[in-house]
Amino acid sequence: MSQSSAQRQSSRNAYSHSGGLYLLCWFVGCILLAFLVVPLVALALSESGRSIANVARMGDVRDAIALSFVAAFLSAALATLVGVPLAYGLARAAFPGKGIIAALVDLPLAVPHTVAGIALLLVLGRHGVLGEPLQELVGLKFWSTLAGVVAAMLFVSAPYTVNAARIGFEAVDPRLEKIARTLGLGPWRTFARITLPLARRSILTGVTLTYARSISEFGAVVILAYYPMTAPVKIYELFLQFGLDQAASASVLLLAVSLTLFLILRAVSRGAPPRENR
Amino acid sequence: MRTGIAVEALTLTVGAFRLQKLDLAVSGGEILVILGPNGSGKSVTLETIAGFHRPDSGRVLINGRDVTALAPERRNVGFVVQNFGLFPHLTVTQNVAIARRTDRKDIATERTIALPRDVAGLLDYLGVAHLGERWPEDLSPGEKQRVALARTLASAPDLFLFDEPFASLDTEIRDQLREELLSFLRALTIPAIFVTHDHDDAMRLADKIVVLREGAVMQAGPAMEIFAKPANAFVARFIGVENILEARVAQAAGELAMLMVRDRELYASVPAGSVTMGREVRLAIRGEQVTIESPDEEWLSPGINRLDGRVTSVRSLNPLVTVEIDCGFPVRGYLLAPQARAMNIEAGKSVTVTIRADAVHVMVD
Repeated sequence: MSQSSAQRQSSRNAYSHSGGLYLLCWFVGCILLAFLVVPLVALALSESGRSIANVARMGDVRDAIALSFVAAFLSAALATLVGVPLAYGLARAAFPGKGIIAALVDLPLAVPHTVAGIALLLVLGRHGVLGEPLQELVGLKFWSTLAGVVAAMLFVSAPYTVNAARIGFEAVDPRLEKIARTLGLGPWRTFARITLPLARRSILTGVTLTYARSISEFGAVVILAYYPMTAPVKIYELFLQFGLDQAASASVLLLAVSLTLFLILRAVSRGAPPRENR
Repeated sequence: MRTGIAVEALTLTVGAFRLQKLDLAVSGGEILVILGPNGSGKSVTLETIAGFHRPDSGRVLINGRDVTALAPERRNVGFVVQNFGLFPHLTVTQNVAIARRTDRKDIATERTIALPRDVAGLLDYLGVAHLGERWPEDLSPGEKQRVALARTLASAPDLFLFDEPFASLDTEIRDQLREELLSFLRALTIPAIFVTHDHDDAMRLADKIVVLREGAVMQAGPAMEIFAKPANAFVARFIGVENILEARVAQAAGELAMLMVRDRELYASVPAGSVTMGREVRLAIRGEQVTIESPDEEWLSPGINRLDGRVTSVRSLNPLVTVEIDCGFPVRGYLLAPQARAMNIEAGKSVTVTIRADAVHVMVD
């Protein structure tokens, strides 16, 4: 009894000690939050409703925004399909050189995106090592096509899915998988019924990040596939041709659509069945 | 063997660890405890029986069926781990339902009691029917154990494997869950292998014990025998023998040996011819075999070894008082709290220690 009350006492002391630290963290944190939010708010307030409506009536702006979302969706879907198995492999297997593979996955995050675009162009371009045979054999073309846009997006955004999913898989106790096996579930059913549901939330977070990163990608896309134009490329073009006003209006439009979509995504992943991944 | 499990000359290498020629046999209704410190290979052994490691050589037989090459899901073993390993994303009912095997028809036939086959019936059998919709994180350790057992039973196992299920629990709950598990296992005729580093677990549960150290068997046999006659100092220490002493054989005549512990004489019953004069041996004396009396009292205990000593320390943990005595060598014994009070036991007090010769176990290993 006396021991547990002493513990409570000491934990209360620990709290009061951390009070100053806690306040400082929030103070510093608010500076960063303001730095992140203020430019976007300023952008949103800079445009009148009329000029946004004008831009929204431009067919090529609407097409560009739609293309961004479709291409990002395809990129996120591909990242899930290919990235989740890799993440599981990295989380479960122990082999020499695993660290090197994990570093390779992170490589696109460290490469400037224009550089990534040029590298992709060398491989997937008209005379690229993969680009040329792929077009001749299956007619798949990566320059000035949706496929090119998706490839550029995937290259720079797939690491988010792989990393988040790997962390999710690593957090699943291997003994739970072992128990499932002894209970009569084969490796595939164990993965589907135990491992995947337990890592689900992490994977969703990763896929959402991949999706967001894909929509925002400019550098790699503009080099590999200037056309068809995604929203960031279109905004860049408006900026060059018509100046800040038109570009800003289109930016606000893209911002509004993006924010709406992410609020919906958040709501959907929150609405998941309770207790998952606990 | 018709029902039961046999492990034959199992040899296994996992990284730097090597398990050497392990033999085990457990028949229906028996509980085998594998006792050993961390890194002794006890968990690896269990996982090999369950099918998660491929042995270098040797066989695993379950009910006479060679399962050495089978995947875990085809071996019909029940596996219970520390914290009981319930699936956190599934309710109690779903946890049990996921394990239900519908492909086995022969389950109920060989059991002494007919087990229910459906999820609700299994939960009811273990007294947790009312918890069906709960999540694992909301269960007490006792409830978790029952749900884990219901889930394991749902998979119709031929063998139970327990990997330190109580390791993270405090003593009181541990005792209670151990008793529950014991009566559960006694009611079934399914053999069980229980891995632990806790000699209380072993003493309470084991019919047979195997003591492992770094992948090698130190001693194997009936639980009573291991506790009464540990083969060496490692086993003695591990099963909680309080007094392990170095000694030299001074005389050996028939079934009685006189030993020198430092400069004090101690008599021990030994199998005739098992020790020779001059041999260095170790002695194991359980604390409860050490009788502590006031020196001025009449000689109450009929023992051969009667030593004068001085109390060096006294630790009281109701109802037992642990007394350390210097009799020329250190000896630990126990008194009941009222006895200790009556004798006014405290450090520095002179006492007489009596140990029966047959309580002195001589280890030549």
